Amino acid sequence: MTHTSVRCVVTAVFTVAALTAAPASAKAEGELNLYNWGDYINPEVLTRFTEETGIKVNLDTYGSNEEMLAKIQAGATGYDIVFPSVHMHDIMFQLGLLAKTDIGSDPAFKNIDPQFIRAKTDPNAEYCLPYSWGTVGIVYNQQKVDKMDGWEDFLALADKGEKVILLDDLRETIGIGHIMNGTSVNSTDPEEIKAAADYILERKGNVSAFTYDSVPLVQAGDVAAAHWYVGANIFVKQAPDILAYVIPEEGATMYQEDMCVLKSAPNMDNANRFLRFYLQPEIAALNVKQQLNGTANRAAMEFIPEDIANNETIYPPQDVMDKLQIFEDLGRDLQLYNSEWVRVKTAQ
Amino acid sequence: MTARFASLKARRALTLYGLLLTPTVFLAFFFLGPLSIMMVYTFLTPGLYGGVEWVFSHLNYGRILGWADTRYDQFDPVYISIFLRSVRLAATTVLTCLVICYPFAFWVARQPERWKNFFIFLITLPFFISLIVRLFAWVLILRPTGFLNQALLGMGVVAQPLDIIFTDMAVVIGMTYVFIPFMFLPLYSSIEKLDGSLIEASQDLGASPLQTFLRVVLPMTLPGIVGGSIIVFIPSLGNFIVPSLLGGARVVMIGNLIEQQFLSARNWPFGAALGMMVMAAVLLLLMIYVRILSREDKQAETQQPKEEETR
Repeated sequence: MTHTSVRCVVTAVFTVAALTAAPASAKAEGELNLYNWGDYINPEVLTRFTEETGIKVNLDTYGSNEEMLAKIQAGATGYDIVFPSVHMHDIMFQLGLLAKTDIGSDPAFKNIDPQFIRAKTDPNAEYCLPYSWGTVGIVYNQQKVDKMDGWEDFLALADKGEKVILLDDLRETIGIGHIMNGTSVNSTDPEEIKAAADYILERKGNVSAFTYDSVPLVQAGDVAAAHWYVGANIFVKQAPDILAYVIPEEGATMYQEDMCVLKSAPNMDNANRFLRFYLQPEIAALNVKQQLNGTANRAAMEFIPEDIANNETIYPPQDVMDKLQIFEDLGRDLQLYNSEWVRVKTAQ
Repeated sequence: MTARFASLKARRALTLYGLLLTPTVFLAFFFLGPLSIMMVYTFLTPGLYGGVEWVFSHLNYGRILGWADTRYDQFDPVYISIFLRSVRLAATTVLTCLVICYPFAFWVARQPERWKNFFIFLITLPFFISLIVRLFAWVLILRPTGFLNQALLGMGVVAQPLDIIFTDMAVVIGMTYVFIPFMFLPLYSSIEKLDGSLIEASQDLGASPLQTFLRVVLPMTLPGIVGGSIIVFIPSLGNFIVPSLLGGARVVMIGNLIEQQFLSARNWPFGAALGMMVMAAVLLLLMIYVRILSREDKQAETQQPKEEETR
């Protein structure tokens, strides 16, 4: 054996030893593994948590509820906290993936607006904490569009030769058809779903693409407007003369994610601690400051900068709130949407 | 004597088994195993939240081929038409790659040795950058306010920006760009081996340039053309990232449909059935390829003795 190969073996042995020892020592020091949507938490919230508790936070990200669920179901362990949308919160509860946290009986939970305890399987917030919410509306280029109040204006743009982009999401996009037809976005009636899909289909000539990566195209003027989330306000803030975001007057959908602890969490205590840490109004406000979305924490409002708190596209008045619909899990009936969605996307 | 002979025979048999074992295990583990799991899945019922339920169902194929008619499983000719569209786009990609690479491979093969390697290095260079990043660069190039349209408008070639992004054309451009190295390398290897004296001989014997090309150059580079075309066609057919980024998900290919079944639609069995359709098409193509190759070998074998006889 040469010197180098001896050294290699020694290094290898030590690495293996270090790797096997790592979880144990990490546990002693304290770690927390978050599995969240990309760019969906203010990094400052995490550093604050580490400063206060000494617990090291690791963040891993996903792009869709389905991706997260598939990974957890495939046996991914090591994650402590996930951020499912409300309907996925219900699904994960039914699959027995969530741990009871009793967050709802924490004294600080009184700050949470009860209208955000939405998961049907968790009516008393024994499991998850409402994390954040927002609307799904329209982001448009003010230099190309004179008037933009809602879906009617959005889809009429093409008559003037302008292009628009819709989300590559079957529920959201067929949902526009439901809103315009006055049917529920959670309808499971095949006739209603078909009518909603037809509404989009008839106007497909105006739609240049179905994609999430549309804001840069709107900003450059490649397309006049796009179906996008309230997070568009981040870009509006950077280019207030060009971009604007609007909640359609006909109604819109909203999303909400909840913060849930997994049953398989290796750091259960730290996860519970993080949930309670996030209940503090200052912390929820700190997150909103960077994310520009909604919080369920009423007491946080006084810590939120005025330009955000008074922005009606982020915190709409109650009459607009009442027109927002949220997606529910449809179980097997999702298949009905899927078939229609294929039809919408493939029509020329 | 016989004992020794037998042991030799036994040893040869053992060597043979030894040599065959590795590829057999490899194929069983990485090809047949996954393929049979997929095959079994195509006959099951989708689980409510992904996965499968172990209940037999023939409706996954019924939805594609025409006999399904229940609330959740409806026959729709759209699946076949998406498949045919994918075949068309993949075939266009193969043709575009071929038209670009064939002359280029000739040109590279005529360069001095040093430069040849440099050009081959250039061809493989894009692999060092993530595919997603390169495709987003194409979005910037092709969009209405992008580089291409600015250049064309600036030169006065067009009066209005061309609508390229989010069309079939953008998908073909993107896939051609991605798969050019796969076409170039097999083409190059067969063109580089081309014997220049045969071309000279054909010219000496009075063949026109076209005749020389059709009867000497083309047949001799055919293995490279067929090989390159197949290697480009197969991944193009199942591609989903190019149509979703450059086609704006408006150009749906079979790969997008399969991805959608496994993720947002939560219907693994149907996704597997669509996957089988792609597998069947690819296997059919490979079988035709092998048939052509073996026929050529046979022809070469039967021609050689004849030539000797005439001599």
